[in-house]
Amino acid sequence: METKEQSRLFTAYQKSVVIILVLAAWSVFPHFMKNNMFLPPFLDIMQTLWEMVRSGEMGKHLLASLRRAGIGLAIAEAAAIPVGIGLGWFARFENYLDPLLTALRNLSVLTILPLFVLFLGIGEVSKTAIIVWGCFFPQLVNTISGVKNVDPVLIQSARSMGMSNFSLFQKVILPGSMTYTLTGFRLSASIALLVLVGAEMLGADFGLGHMIFHYQQAFLIKKMYCGILVMIIVGVVVNTLIARLESRLTIWQDKGNAH
Amino acid sequence: MAKQTSIQGAALETDKRIVAKDVGLVYKIRSRRKKENRTLTALEHVDIEVNKGEFYALVGPSGCGKSTFLYILAGLIKKTSGALYINGHEIHGPDLDRGIIMQQYALFPWRTIRKNVELGLEVKGVKKEERERIALGFIDLVGLSEFADRYPYELSGGMKQRIAIARALAYDPDVLLMDEPFAAVDEQTRETLHDELLRIWEKTNKTIIFVTHSIDEAVFLADRVAVMTPSPGSIKEVVDINLGRPRVSGHIKSTQAFSMLRHRVWELLQNSGETADAGAGAAADFDVSEVISESAVL
Repeated sequence: METKEQSRLFTAYQKSVVIILVLAAWSVFPHFMKNNMFLPPFLDIMQTLWEMVRSGEMGKHLLASLRRAGIGLAIAEAAAIPVGIGLGWFARFENYLDPLLTALRNLSVLTILPLFVLFLGIGEVSKTAIIVWGCFFPQLVNTISGVKNVDPVLIQSARSMGMSNFSLFQKVILPGSMTYTLTGFRLSASIALLVLVGAEMLGADFGLGHMIFHYQQAFLIKKMYCGILVMIIVGVVVNTLIARLESRLTIWQDKGNAH
Repeated sequence: MAKQTSIQGAALETDKRIVAKDVGLVYKIRSRRKKENRTLTALEHVDIEVNKGEFYALVGPSGCGKSTFLYILAGLIKKTSGALYINGHEIHGPDLDRGIIMQQYALFPWRTIRKNVELGLEVKGVKKEERERIALGFIDLVGLSEFADRYPYELSGGMKQRIAIARALAYDPDVLLMDEPFAAVDEQTRETLHDELLRIWEKTNKTIIFVTHSIDEAVFLADRVAVMTPSPGSIKEVVDINLGRPRVSGHIKSTQAFSMLRHRVWELLQNSGETADAGAGAAADFDVSEVISESAVL
């Protein structure tokens, strides 16, 4: 039998070994290439990244991107959660709206990017708007499902105590739809990052998407890779943070490993 | 007109805890193809009188509307005719003077056991420390003190139902309405829960209306057993259970008195069963769930 410490070490090993191997290959392999311009060794890229961080260049782009994605996501959440709760509660409206929602949410976000540019220009507004658009639907759909899936027995039980509509909403509907809402949030957050890069490539002064695109065109390949790496790190960090938040807020759920 | 009857009722029936007079429930079924409205009578002329502190059981074939009647008493389904009184006052909707205990426990998974028991007290507006004190008291009464800070998923079915009982008791209703509360637990747990329920009932002096399809359960627990007819449901006969108290399951169930009462209830159910139309019963069941979900969305 393993001790707890041993199994934790083993888990860490399991999770990191493949990445380490890939990075090691990436550090060594390019040295044997005739021309490694398009695939510089990993350690060289790390050096460039370090320089970009120190000069503040990376921070500038990262901040601009996070700000954009954050604002877009926040607006989308603020709109989608109340609307989703409303539509989930008044199921009759949803019957009318469902075909439209289905059509819109299955539309690839970048498909209508030109439309946003047409109406809102290529400035900050259209970039934020497209992020809002992309984040809105997954959150909306999940919130609606959450409200609709609140156990009717619980609603009955709450009603039997003479609970007011407001309390019912606050004590039953909101917590009861929480798991779905959080799933929607995680989806929306990853979509925010996805759409962000696309929108920034369209034209911006700052931002990771812009940076990656710009350095590719300027043939500054190492810097381009730096942008991509930072984008990966941002994605992983955001996902981990939200997963933490999720398990914290749904501590009451049977995770299936108790038995 | 309805108001007048209610005042008369109030004057007449104050010594009873629960009175149902000629209660009926008729569903309108709208058929889409034919433009006619059919109706389905689920309950008809239901009359009961339940004394204060009484343990009153309702048995009947499935689909007879016994659970529906309990939900009407809880104020969760609206009757279409007749009148219902609690302590002489007409019942208009759900309130904290009645506590319902459902077969599916209906514990809130995101609340700890203590917080579940506190829920009715929150609705009542009881202060935090007081809520906590009362809740812990009732959790102790059902013997689950060490689980107060656990979540429902960590409890077995029998434990969950004990918590559901504690929750209903916590806000101090006059009447406990129990809808086949022990149908989902295994036989052994059920017997323990029977003894437990009787102990709690004797200690708290609550009036209990207990819906079940188990004859044994009804006869063992109740002071009186009302036998219902199948659709439309109404009370066929009320059987007095003079078995004395306190009752201990192992002993009482082997007595001749118990067997005879059991047989009497069984006979009444058999007779009503002959006229039972399984199809209509199923239809009634379906409509009940529909009405329940509708009233939930109100």
